[in-house]
This record gives sequence, structure tokens and C-alpha cells, in this order.
Amino acid sequence: MTPDELPPPPAVSGVSLSGRTPYVISSDENRALCESIGVAPATDGSAHPIYFFIATQVGMGMTVAGLCNACEFDVEEGPLMASSKVNFSLPLMTNQPYLVVGEIVGLTRKRSRKLGVMDMLDYELRLTLPNGTPVLKTNNVWVLPRRHLT
Amino acid sequence: MTPVVGDSLKALRIACVSPESMKSWAKFLHDPNPIHLDPKAVMAKGLGDRVINQGPANLAYIISMLQSAFPGAHIETLDVRYVDNVFGGEAVEATGKVLEVSGSGAAMKITCEILLSAETRGPVITGTAVLAGAAVR
Repeated sequence: MTPDELPPPPAVSGVSLSGRTPYVISSDENRALCESIGVAPATDGSAHPIYFFIATQVGMGMTVAGLCNACEFDVEEGPLMASSKVNFSLPLMTNQPYLVVGEIVGLTRKRSRKLGVMDMLDYELRLTLPNGTPVLKTNNVWVLPRRHLT
Repeated sequence: MTPVVGDSLKALRIACVSPESMKSWAKFLHDPNPIHLDPKAVMAKGLGDRVINQGPANLAYIISMLQSAFPGAHIETLDVRYVDNVFGGEAVEATGKVLEVSGSGAAMKITCEILLSAETRGPVITGTAVLAGAAVR
């Protein structure tokens, strides 16, 4: 291996992130969340759209630490959020059970001037109603700094 | 009033990002990462000396700005990059600009450039949003 070559990242593409139990946005928590950012909760039962991130993260089949561990990365090393995309098919509602399905899309190793060697973790999560009706699809990319390889 | 390409959206300013609210977000996200809760943990990682706001909380400011700008519309897509941190006690501002408008009434789609800036340091989140539906401003 030359100095420019790096060992391959763990082969995690396709690892399931599907949840096992439904996630429900409680109206009380939605109210508290809205208060925390200085806005009033909606009066029509809809939840703040940022629950696209919360519902999928909490409802997926792994904790953040577990997801990092699957990538052979210690969460204490500090994963960094790089990007998020979401496509909504339906608005998010409070007191509605949702299911999360998804998987790791890829783990790509590269060098960065700022962070040294790092892996880009790309994963996709889809939120559905219990009957399978799509609600949203989101892709998140995290940076996992691999300081020991730098 | 129908949005027009080039319109600036009314900014949402948060005068002081509260370390207390980060404790709430740690519960919402089920994420006890100490960099959001304990300045000593931030210092130990060489990331500064103040707690760091959760990225989704930063994005929530932008979403609230969009909802306020277009109360009759709903967000169809968001595509954002997290380019920096927000620290406890900082002031931030969510802003946006209309890039494209198509259709009308319930079929209207509005594409916006979106930005969250830390008042003294610059961009924190950059990206685009597409809203759909009757956009009353």
C-alpha cells in the first residue's frame, strides 16, 4: 500500500435500518419542540416538519451509536452531519403511528484537507403509515473522521 | 400576494440559542451526545468552549421561517448542507429568497434558496426548498 492508498472502509452498504416499533409524534412533545424554537404549534394536528429527521432517527432500528458502531466508528469520536434531503408525500401528524424502513446506502473513504481521512456515511430512511402508504423519504450524509488513518 | 422570483423572505431571527433548549432536543432526538450538554465535553474535543446546538434544531429554524413566509403552502422537499456549528448563546438568522415559481393556486410550486447564518460568523446551513400549494404571503 502506497502512502496515498487507504484501507477500504467497512462494507456496510445494504445494512438494514428498518425499525421494529411504530414511532408516534406526541402532541405534547410537538408543542414542547415548537416552544423550544419560538413558534406556535399548528392547530390542525400537523407536526413540525423537522420531525422528518426526528421520527426517522428515533424510529429506525439502531441508535446513533449503533449506526456508528456498524461502521466500526466510535460515536465518542464525534460524527458530523454533512447533508440532509427529504421528500414529503404527506404532512406529518401528531398522534399518528409511523413505521421506518431503510438501509445504509454507502460508506465512502476519502481525504479532506480540513479533517484528514474520513468516511462519508450515506443512509436512506423512509417513513410510512402502518398500511404502507409512503409519507416521506430522507437521505442523510454524515462525516466519520478517521483520525487514526490520517 | 403571489411570490415573485427574487423576493426575499421575511427573516426569522433567534436572538440567543438557548443551552436549555439543547437539553430538550437531546430528549427529542434520543441523542445524549455531551457536546450539546456540557461545555467541558466541547472543550475536550477542541471544538470551542460553548455547547453546540443540534443540527436538526438549526434546520427547524429555517423550516419555521418558510412556514411563516408561505402559510398556505407545505414543504415538498428540502436539500441542505450543514456547513458549520451554532454555539450556545449565539444569535442566528434564517433567511430565504425565491428562485423559481411555477403553476398557480393549489398547483403552485415555489423553489427557494435557504440559509441559516450565525450573526457573527456566517453560514451554518445552506440549501434549497420546494414548497407546494397556495402560497399566500
